[in-house]
Formats: sequence, C-alpha cells, structure tokens
Amino acid sequence: MIDDHLGLEILKEISRIASSTLDLDETLEQIIQIIKNKMRIDAIYLAEDPGNLLHLRASSGLPLEASGQVKLELGKGVTGWVAEHKCSLALPEAMQDPRFVLFPEIQEERFSSMLSVPILFDEACIGVINVHTLDRREFSAVETAIVETIANQVAGALRNALLFHNSQRLLKEQTILYDIGLAVQTTLKLEHGLWVILSGITMGEAGGFNRAMLFLLNEKNHSLDGEMGIGPDSEEDASRIWAEWGKKKVDLLNWIMVEADKDEFKHSRFNRFVRSLSFPLVGEGNILTETALQKQPFVVSDPHQHPLVTREFIETLGVEAFATVPLIAHETALGVILVDNRYNHRPITQEQLRLLTRFTTHASWVIENTRLFGKLLDTNQELLSTKEQLIEKEKLAALGVVSAELAHEIRNPLVSIGGFARRLEDKLRKVSAEHTGIEDLEKATEYSNIIHTEVNRLEQLLKNILLYSQAGALNLEEASINEIIDETISIFKSGLYGKNINVNYEKCDNLPALFIDRQKIRQVFINLFYNAMDSMPEGGELSIETRTQPESHPPDHVTVRIEDTGGGIPQEAFQNIFNPFFTTKSSGTGLGLSICRKIVESHGGTIHIVNNIGSGITIFIHLPLQKPADYYKN
Amino acid sequence: MIKVLVVDDEENIRLLYREELEDEGYAVTVAANAKEALEAFRSTPFDMIVLDIKMPDMDGIELLRIIKEENKDIPVVLCSAYGRYKQDFRIWACDAYVVKSADLDELKLTLRQVLSA
Repeated sequence: MIDDHLGLEILKEISRIASSTLDLDETLEQIIQIIKNKMRIDAIYLAEDPGNLLHLRASSGLPLEASGQVKLELGKGVTGWVAEHKCSLALPEAMQDPRFVLFPEIQEERFSSMLSVPILFDEACIGVINVHTLDRREFSAVETAIVETIANQVAGALRNALLFHNSQRLLKEQTILYDIGLAVQTTLKLEHGLWVILSGITMGEAGGFNRAMLFLLNEKNHSLDGEMGIGPDSEEDASRIWAEWGKKKVDLLNWIMVEADKDEFKHSRFNRFVRSLSFPLVGEGNILTETALQKQPFVVSDPHQHPLVTREFIETLGVEAFATVPLIAHETALGVILVDNRYNHRPITQEQLRLLTRFTTHASWVIENTRLFGKLLDTNQELLSTKEQLIEKEKLAALGVVSAELAHEIRNPLVSIGGFARRLEDKLRKVSAEHTGIEDLEKATEYSNIIHTEVNRLEQLLKNILLYSQAGALNLEEASINEIIDETISIFKSGLYGKNINVNYEKCDNLPALFIDRQKIRQVFINLFYNAMDSMPEGGELSIETRTQPESHPPDHVTVRIEDTGGGIPQEAFQNIFNPFFTTKSSGTGLGLSICRKIVESHGGTIHIVNNIGSGITIFIHLPLQKPADYYKN
Repeated sequence: MIKVLVVDDEENIRLLYREELEDEGYAVTVAANAKEALEAFRSTPFDMIVLDIKMPDMDGIELLRIIKEENKDIPVVLCSAYGRYKQDFRIWACDAYVVKSADLDELKLTLRQVLSA
C-alpha cells in the first residue's frame, strides 16, 4: 500500500504545503489532493476544538455528501476510539472489532480492513486519518509508522493554519469591534448606538446572526420591554438584504454612520413588532426574564424541549434555535438581547456566541452611559430650577420683610382711624337717638360706619400679609390631621349648609400623627375651604379625603385631597394661582393660596392643584411623616 | 375704681385707649414713653399696666422686665401691632398679649380676664 518511497514523497508534499500557505481551507484542500492522488487514505476527520466532535472534513472513495455532514462523538466507533485514546489502530477485520460502529452515511461496510491514526498536537488529538482497504489485509509496522508520520506532518500544517486562521479571525473581530465602538462613541443618540450594536450582531462579517432583539428593563413596570429589533421582515427580505450586504464592500464604520442617520430601521415591521412586546418580571418567568434575573446567557437548540420556553413564546417570536444574553453594567441587569438564525437555519456556533458577548458588553455600556448622561442632564435641570426657585424664594422673602414692616407701620394709624371711627359712630348714634329727624346726623353716622368697615377690611389684609411673611416660624407638635379637618369642617358647617354645599369626608382611620403647627395647618384648610365655598355659589360637592402614601408600608407621607365642583379655573389664571397678590375674586387679598403653599412647604410638604376646567379643582397636600428638618422652623 | 396705666408712644392711640377704657369704667393714666411710665408706676399704685412694645427709647419688653422685677404681682398686658413677639421668650412674664386692632373688644375682654384671674 504505502512503501518508503511513496511515504517520503507524501511527506515532502505535505511539508511543501506547510511552507506555502497559511490558509486553513487551502491547507486542507491541498492535503486532500495529495491524499487522493498519492495514497488510498479514505477519510480525514478534524476536531475544531480538541475534545469536541470530530467532523469529516475530507475524504476520497467515500460518498461525497458525507463530507461536512458526518460528526463523530469522541469515543464512538473506531475513529472516536482512536481520537479518545490518541493511539493508532490497525484492524484487518474492522467490522468484527467490538469498537466498530456502522455509520450508514459513510458506507464503511464495503471495506474489510482499516488503519486509523490520530493527528496529535501538544498531547491533544485534533483529528484522525483513516485508511480503508476493500480486501482483507494486515498493516505492517512500517506502514503504520508512515501514516503516523504523515499525520504528524498534517498536524503541523493544520496547527499552523489553525493558529493563523484564529489570529486572522481575532484581528477581524477586533477591527469590527473597534469600528463599532468608534461608531457608538460618535453617535449621541441612544437608539443610534443600540442600532449600531444590533447591526453588528446581525452583519454577516461580524456577529452573523439573522435577527437580534433588544429588551430593556422597565423598573417602573417591572417588565422587560422590547426596545429594538434588527433583522429582515421576511424570508424574501432576508435574502435581498444579504445579497446587498454581500455586494457592499464599503468601509464598515462609514456605512454604519450613514445608515444610522437615516433612521430607516425604526420603520421596519420587525422593529415595530419587537417594540410591541413586553414581558412581566414577576410571576411565571420565561427565558428572557430569567436571563435578566439570573444574569446568565442561555443557548436553546431545541426550544420545544426547554423548560423556560412556552409554545406561545415560540409562536410569538417565531424562534427555532436561539440564544439570550443579559446586558449588565455595574453588576445590574439592564436588559436582554435575543438572537437567532431564523432564515438560514444555521446552528449557533461558539464563535458567534463569543462575539455576541462582546457586543452585549458594548451595548450595556452604551445604555449605561446614556442613562448616566440623562441623569446628569436631569440633575443639571434640577439645579437650574432649584436656583430659579431660590431666587424666587429670596424675592418673596424680601417682599415678605418689606410688607411686614409696612404692615406694622400702617397698623398703628389704622387702629386710630378705625378706633375713632367707631367712637364717632357710637357718639353720633347717641346724638341721633336724642335728636331724631336730622338728616345730616344720620348721614354722618353712616359715613363713620363706612370708615370703620373699610378699616376692618384693611386690617384683614394686613393680617394676611403678616401671616404670609411669618409662615416660616412653626410651632410643631404632634397632631392628628383628621382632627384638624374635623374642626375646620365644623367652623364652616353653617356656611356650607347655607350655600347648599355637600361635604363628603373620607377619613383614613389609622392615619399616623404628624409633627405640625396645628394653627398654621388649620389656616391652610380654612383658606382652601373659603376658596372652595366661593367657587360654588350655587351649591355643589366638597370632597375631602385623607390617606397615607405610599399605601404599602411603611408610608412616608400623608396626603389630603380636597376636591370641589366649582368649575375649575381659567387656564391663564391657573398659572398664577400660587403667586402672592394674585386673585380671581372681586374681593380678596390674593394671598390665600400662597399662604397655604408657604405653610405646607415650611412643613417639608408639597401642595399641588389639578385644574379640571368645567368640573372643578382638586388639591393634593402631601405632608411628610417625619419631623420637618430644623431649618424649616425659622 | 380700677387704675390702669397705658403706655404708648403714639398720641392718638393713647387718646383712643384712654377714652375707650374710661368708658369701660377704668381710671386711666397715660404715659408716652418708658421714662414717664416708670415715674408714674413708681409714684402711683396701679391695678394693671398696658404696654406697647415698640417705643423709641426703651421697648415694652425691657420695661416689662423692670416693672416685674419691682413688682411681680402687678398684671401687665402687652399690646402691639406685631404678632411675632408672641414667640419671644422674653415676654414670658407678661400676663397677656394682644395684637392691636381698631376693634378694641379683644383688649377689653383680655383686661377683664386678667383682672379676674
């Protein structure tokens, strides 16, 4: 079969290949040619990773279709045994050997004898060379040694080509990742960054998946929501896109940048479909939510057998074999990427998965950076508005100081004017009682009455201004908000009844006590009830409700809702309702609501108003359960 | 007759208070500042003193301290245009605090309550 001469010739040829090319496929091809031409070696099996499946990569004299299709497990059959034990096996009666397993697609049953030699490198078996003969024969020690030597040479050539192949692949991968990284950094919009990454995952020269779907964690709704889907809409679309990609030999980075700006991806049916999906994180988990919760990738080769995959899930997403990878930043799951090969049905390879993991790392940081950037913007905005509020507060405080001083200066002369007007009126009344029928006397009595009534009004205004400017000083004590509301309702009872206004009070019974200034909080309700009453001259409904919030434990504040049916406030007036001295009433100081807000805010609480034009307004007052900070007291 | 000393730096207020309180049946003496007030307080026994707080030479709070140091039993009612002194710890010694108003009913009521206490 093989003599020394042929052996030498084969070895020479193989060493020539090893020094002429580094391309893996070419090396293999040439080795096969030598095998075909020079000797009756029938099959060469290679394992892509030592210890993994053996693939029939080349053969002569075996059915053509067997090449590339046949995969042998380690230890299975004669070939598997040789790979596992890393030693040659010469079998004159191959089929009689207990290790023999018949693989119908190889049609080995035609052969009688068989020599199987491992291709070894660094103690690892990277393949097997088999020699079959139709006639029964013994293999001499020399023949075995020659085939082993060939195997050694093949190992060397293959190893070199493999190393080269891997380093080329890594280089390409690095270039793509670099390009994509650069593209991601160049785009400012989150969706563009994500699009670049998902495109990378699906592009033939990079990740090579058919479809990629991105789901992001929605913390508010506790769900995983579809964010983006990249992939063809249909089978026809798929072949068209791949054909186009195949033709495009443009710079990847440029191509990405141009395409991202077009925003076309947003309109694809597939993208819209993915965006319509949402999976709750609580309750019965599925593979997507488990990927996020366990922060673990999953590779599902048969979804019908997988415990975390329901039939509904398969039908909705139209998946066969697929993989899921979590997006993680700072050890927190941000979302999940799901990939599959729906259209070309290729199995998901280790290489694809490894690349996918790299892409997802990129995606995680894109999302995290955008999130942080958004947070930064928010904080900045908050700072700006806080600054504006501070300026506004300072202005108001200055106004408060000025008006307080002014109020005091005005108060003394008012006391004199009003006091003497009263006395005057009293005296005039006495005189007119004695001398009836003097018209001027009656007029004078009336005039002095007008003076003291107007002074009363001015004094009321001053009281409000002083109240407003002093709302900050709190006299805190433990008090029940329900009690204060009860008291206020009883003050208003006859007034409300007279105006035909129904009071509907929903009291929360186990409301915790608050640290508040009883008088000032009562003032808030008094002002609000006055407003409500004034807004419903023809009668209506005043609803009051107290509750804790959040309603789950432990609550952090108490909310009071006050709702009237007074028709609401015109929109242009609504913007000013908290401004001091603004009023929609014909009589009034315009301080009522600003006093309310000042008092509530000095308690560390908030007040806001919902204006339902046509029906009425709803006021929400939130008061914190913990004691207001010391600085609120002054 | 119940003798009341009214101390206020504003002439019109003094006149108003005097007339109103006299109508109520009190014997009223008025003082325009702390100096006059102390002279009157030290020369005549009063049943009650009504003090304004904000005055140019010495304020009513300081005057209150001096009066109470000399006679802690005499009732003193503070009467001011300012509400904020209600929170001032230095007024603890006073017997009542009234915010000034053109309507003197509150002051009159307070005086009756303080006297009957």
